Amino acid sequence: MARQTHRLDVNGRSHEIHAEPNRTLLEVVRDELRLTGAKEGCGTGDCGACTLLVDGRVVTSCLMLWPEAEGREVRTIEGLADGGELHPLQRAFVEHGAVQCGFCIPGMILAGVATLERVPSATRAEIRDGIAGNLCRCTGYQKIVDAIESVAEAPA
Amino acid sequence: MTTIERPRYNAVGEREPRVEGLHKVTGRTVYAADVQLPGMLHARLVLSPHPHARITALHADAALAHPGVVAVVTADDLARASRDGSNPARGASNRADALFADREAVFAGQPVAAVLGESYADAEEGAELVRVEYEVLPAVLDVEAAMEPDSPLARSPVSDIDHTEEDAHVTIDVRSEEAEGRATNIASHLSFERGDLDEGFSRADLVVEQSYRAALVHQGYIEPHATVASYDPATGDVAVWTSTQGQFHVRDTLMRLFKLPETKLRVVGCELGGGFGGKMIQSATIATACALVAGRPVKLVFTRREDLLAATPTPGSVVRLRSGITSEGDLTALEATVIYDAGAFPGAPVAAGTLLISSFYRWPHLRTDGYEVLTNHVSVGAIRAPGIHNITHAIEQQVDAMALGVGLDPAAVRLRNAVRTGDEMASGKPFPSIGMVETIEAAARHPIWTGREAARARSTETTRVGVGLAVSGWLGGLQPATCELMLNSDGTVNAVVGVMDISGVNTSFAQIVAEELAIPVERVSVSTGDTRTAPYAGIAAGSKTTITMGRAVREAAVDLREQMFSIAADQLEANPTDMVLGEGEVQVAGSPDRSLTFRRLAAITTGFGSLYTPIVGKGAISARVQAPGFTAQLAELEVDTVSGNVTLTGWATVQDAGYAINPLSVEGQMEGGTGMGIGIGLSEEYLYDDEGRLRNAGLLDYRMPTAADTPDIDSVIVEVPSEEGPYGARGVGEPSITAGGAAIANALHDALGVRLTEMPATPERVLRALGRVAD
Ligand code: FES
Ligand code: FES
Repeated sequence: MARQTHRLDVNGRSHEIHAEPNRTLLEVVRDELRLTGAKEGCGTGDCGACTLLVDGRVVTSCLMLWPEAEGREVRTIEGLADGGELHPLQRAFVEHGAVQCGFCIPGMILAGVATLERVPSATRAEIRDGIAGNLCRCTGYQKIVDAIESVAEAPA
Repeated sequence: MTTIERPRYNAVGEREPRVEGLHKVTGRTVYAADVQLPGMLHARLVLSPHPHARITALHADAALAHPGVVAVVTADDLARASRDGSNPARGASNRADALFADREAVFAGQPVAAVLGESYADAEEGAELVRVEYEVLPAVLDVEAAMEPDSPLARSPVSDIDHTEEDAHVTIDVRSEEAEGRATNIASHLSFERGDLDEGFSRADLVVEQSYRAALVHQGYIEPHATVASYDPATGDVAVWTSTQGQFHVRDTLMRLFKLPETKLRVVGCELGGGFGGKMIQSATIATACALVAGRPVKLVFTRREDLLAATPTPGSVVRLRSGITSEGDLTALEATVIYDAGAFPGAPVAAGTLLISSFYRWPHLRTDGYEVLTNHVSVGAIRAPGIHNITHAIEQQVDAMALGVGLDPAAVRLRNAVRTGDEMASGKPFPSIGMVETIEAAARHPIWTGREAARARSTETTRVGVGLAVSGWLGGLQPATCELMLNSDGTVNAVVGVMDISGVNTSFAQIVAEELAIPVERVSVSTGDTRTAPYAGIAAGSKTTITMGRAVREAAVDLREQMFSIAADQLEANPTDMVLGEGEVQVAGSPDRSLTFRRLAAITTGFGSLYTPIVGKGAISARVQAPGFTAQLAELEVDTVSGNVTLTGWATVQDAGYAINPLSVEGQMEGGTGMGIGIGLSEEYLYDDEGRLRNAGLLDYRMPTAADTPDIDSVIVEVPSEEGPYGARGVGEPSITAGGAAIANALHDALGVRLTEMPATPERVLRALGRVAD
């Protein structure tokens, strides 16, 4: 398939990418930009390991063709920390023991960020719904929910 | 956490966040699929669509003509991968050796060939062009029918029963016997006997007889199998980056299969994206074979579909039980038959399952038979406490039914009959120190159990509420272990181990070193070396890493301390036995001003012209006494009797950790295993069609619990010290998975008054049990 050229805006930097248009955003981010924080756990939209934020929304990047992301703002786990300063959710995941094997964690944290952006004072039940598209096999979700809850605003 | 008085330490026993956590939350951790090498090829697999078929021809020409396709590798090509020209796949008796189907495909999804391409797309397109001709053979799909003497055979007979898979996960002294003659599908059989069954049943006031079934399930790690293997034809060097629970196991297997000298082989166990007993070697053997044939690096990453079809999930089972109880609540007799569906190769945990189903309670009279049966389902491997969720689902419903049948409290009957330290297992071997009783007692005190009347009272016409209890345990494995420890020039300490960190063990090891050297945890680093740089270590499995390697780490730290004491004593003109640790220094007891800092000790033992030997601690242990862990779990749930949907509304997992070196990690293991047990209990199962093809080879239909399906889990740690584990620690990784399915089944009985004897308890099975849908 003939390659195409598009610009992708990833973590605030603009990249010119040449690649086959039938490749997924996940493949391009991992293989062309070498941002390997996003993982492939299923390739069919069912596990959330490939979760990225596109214009602030959760996207399963294994299902999105990369040219569709042109002109939109893509955020990966590598772009979440502000310089050396971790995002509060990243810190909370470590401190609450929410990280085990870590394979689901980049996607899970981004899903948590999106959940709290939508519902800043999310309850445990709302947090569980917010991350229901992201499977974790290591934690039983207990400490993941604890971590996200610790960063949520106290309900008004 | 319990309020029991715990021994006081400085660093161990504290809730310590994982040392590698920061890498993981920033996406920097390198997993096997993230490895990229120059000149690397990509491999895609061709899988058999048939559960049982003879391969009559394989046409690779169209694939090879496709631009970008470099090679097609089949069983016939493996002789070219082996350094002595022998073919490892010929007549392979275990799954690890059978890289590709060799003339006969024995399960749907078995790899038949790998196609190597310059890009992933090239390899994928090539794989679609490989044409295989099959002659379909009768498939053996029902495990009970497979045991009949006139059943067709699942596969051509092979010579030996291979226990490699089972031995990796548990240390037991009993061994299943190879079934005689090999003319049947029964791969192995074993039995245990005690007393006189007739007498036992004649003493019973109630006899319960029931069969139970558990489904074949996948370990469900989110990272599929992945390996990058490289081979340099000029030097003969082979290097392998792989996702495995045991890098030395991978090394030893590759050496054996391909006759590689150990000096030419380096295996790097990458950070593991979940294993749970199922991540051993499947991608490493195939990728390495491909690299050896092609003379170039090869990456093989399973798709999720391939991982469900062609990895080693864990067996389904049939358990038949007949058991007796007196009206006082004494268990009198147990007759059990345990049948595991091993799939196409041996590897089912039949010895452990058969032993433990008859060993958790003091049965005065028993007879247990265990069978491992070959079928044309995917060949199986281990999961956390392999085989035990199956038998727990049976025996814990049975004990519940007996207790309720004679009108007694199920927790009280369990306590009355539970095994204690020194009681004999069914094999006659005595239990070492165990905390089954303490574990049940803690569960019986838990608000979910004491509040079960109130919970039940919430029931309405169509929403039934119930609470269930189930208890189980796991013996765990044993293996010698070694650790090396170095004093650094800044006074910090580096530890090197060869065992993979799958559960936070490196953090616990840092705590142990910090404890023994009286320094902060931040001043210790623990590295997992590769097979060239680390001392030999067993697989991270069998809940044995902390209790064995943890002891080696402790010994290494003590050794390093002794060396520091002796050099400091020499310098300070004191007696080594008078030395004590201060903050980052060694002091003469009683005169803290006579001291040497760790940093100074490092300088005078490594500097130019130094008279002392460098300070390197070594710990090496052999392990003799297991440290079994018991768990008691409480499920509270609501059942919608119209839809059959089950909603978990409360959960407690009580577990004996012996001593929790890192309670944060211990809770993590308890919660993770509980989550898996919930999936196994409610939604996970391999669904085959009548032809023996998997119908749900994807994560949409193979349903693992999401955060929304999982309740809050209350982890209650009980601490009954083990004999040998460091600070009394026990194996904690595996027990947590065992009791969930049974606790759910008992809660469903509590809610509905009927027993769900088949696991998982899907809405359809719930409705069937209620008589709302026909069988
Ligand atoms: S990899 Fe995209 S959802 Fe699983
Ligand atoms: S931490 Fe392993 S899958 Fe979530």
